[in-house]
Amino acid sequence: MEAAPDISILRLLAAFGLLIVPLALSFFLRLGFVRQLFISAGRMTGQLFLMGILLVYLFRWDNPWLNVAWVIVMMFFACFSAMVNSKLSFRHFFLPVFLAYFVGTGLILLFFNKVIVNYENIFTARLVVVVGGMLLGNSLNSTIIGISHYYEAIRKENKRYLYLLSLGANQQEALLPFFREALRAAMRPFIANMATMGIVSLPGMMTGQMLGGADPETAIKYQIAIVLAIFTALTISVALSIFFTSNRAFDDYGILKGSLFRR
Amino acid sequence: MIKLDNVTLSFGDQQLFERLSVEVPAGGRLLISGESGSGKTTLLRMLLGFVLPDRGMVYVDGEQLQVDNVWRLRRKMAYVSQEMQIGKGRVESFIKEIFRFKNNRRIEYRRDKVIALLEDFQLGSGTLDKDLEDLSGGELQRVAIIVTLLLNRQIYLLDEVTSALDQQLKEMIVNYFTNLDDKTLIISSHDKIWHDQGFPTIHLGNNGSST
Repeated sequence: MEAAPDISILRLLAAFGLLIVPLALSFFLRLGFVRQLFISAGRMTGQLFLMGILLVYLFRWDNPWLNVAWVIVMMFFACFSAMVNSKLSFRHFFLPVFLAYFVGTGLILLFFNKVIVNYENIFTARLVVVVGGMLLGNSLNSTIIGISHYYEAIRKENKRYLYLLSLGANQQEALLPFFREALRAAMRPFIANMATMGIVSLPGMMTGQMLGGADPETAIKYQIAIVLAIFTALTISVALSIFFTSNRAFDDYGILKGSLFRR
Repeated sequence: MIKLDNVTLSFGDQQLFERLSVEVPAGGRLLISGESGSGKTTLLRMLLGFVLPDRGMVYVDGEQLQVDNVWRLRRKMAYVSQEMQIGKGRVESFIKEIFRFKNNRRIEYRRDKVIALLEDFQLGSGTLDKDLEDLSGGELQRVAIIVTLLLNRQIYLLDEVTSALDQQLKEMIVNYFTNLDDKTLIISSHDKIWHDQGFPTIHLGNNGSST
């Protein structure tokens, strides 16, 4: 199959032309989005162009160390944006959540590259940077959901937690139901999503590969493998991020520290 | 014995207790009265080590409450409050899970005993198959009380347990607890029915407190 034709800058502008519709709606119905829409679309364009330039060099040099370093930078940003979108304090959570991503996504990335794809050089840019980015980007949302759900439930259902403690539960036993519910909340959307994949949506990676000229059969196999990898990576990341933070989140009396939340 | 010794506590600029001292012997009773916001719940939570005093000391069963004994002392107490949050799932699964806690494993789970208590508290045995989230506030509270009775705790901290119940249930619960002669009862309540029992009472005011 031949690769997709390039899109000229002029024709790309036509894509921006599409924005007229949401902009008009936003303007006439006073949705209050006009400014934000411009900024967001602008950021998206700028970031992706920069990423494109960066990818050109990462692919050209294809240095394993550089590739891994770039994935770590992406993890850093993933973690940062997870924090911004939650009410949790940076000081308490940044490092443990980063570590959780590092272990969860890192292990799955190695597994994907070595066991599933079995490419000669598993640290090559197209595997590390591209697959790493997919894993991180897709597990980000669930990790935020999971960790926020956990701490906000303990805060909101404080009486339930304290009741369990008063019934003789040790801390792990009193936290177990919250852990269960947080994992459920994080995993549930993805499980539902998996069931409709291919019917309701053609996933991004597959679309990309096919546009890039790959055989649909290969693209589908990659897609199946990446979906399973993303799911496992996010499960590990959520579980570990709760596990890594839980110890320091409570005082010696078993009470959740108030300083965990941003005001 | 339960004792508060010169306990002072404030939240922000609101002073809840100033040099509050009170003592309840083992098997004794204490009624805490006061308006909402006067610190009744906080006082009970302080006994459980869920809230720490700014100054002063808390004694439970004769021991000064500290980091190294708080987990053990909590197991002598049972705490039931007005708006219970128990959790999710079937009632019986919840009760069984409580009995699986490491600290409770030596207590045997006996279904017949649970059902007898449910009936004592005017809940049918069918309650065991209900979902916790489908129970009314009053039912939830009675389930919570039953669980603490099954665990056979020595000290009962009852935080407005009767306020959401009808008169007949109020009387039943008051009778049930006042007949437990060897248990220590610490009760916070607005309800006249508790005040009619003639228990020693402390009154928490909005500016500090008096006995």
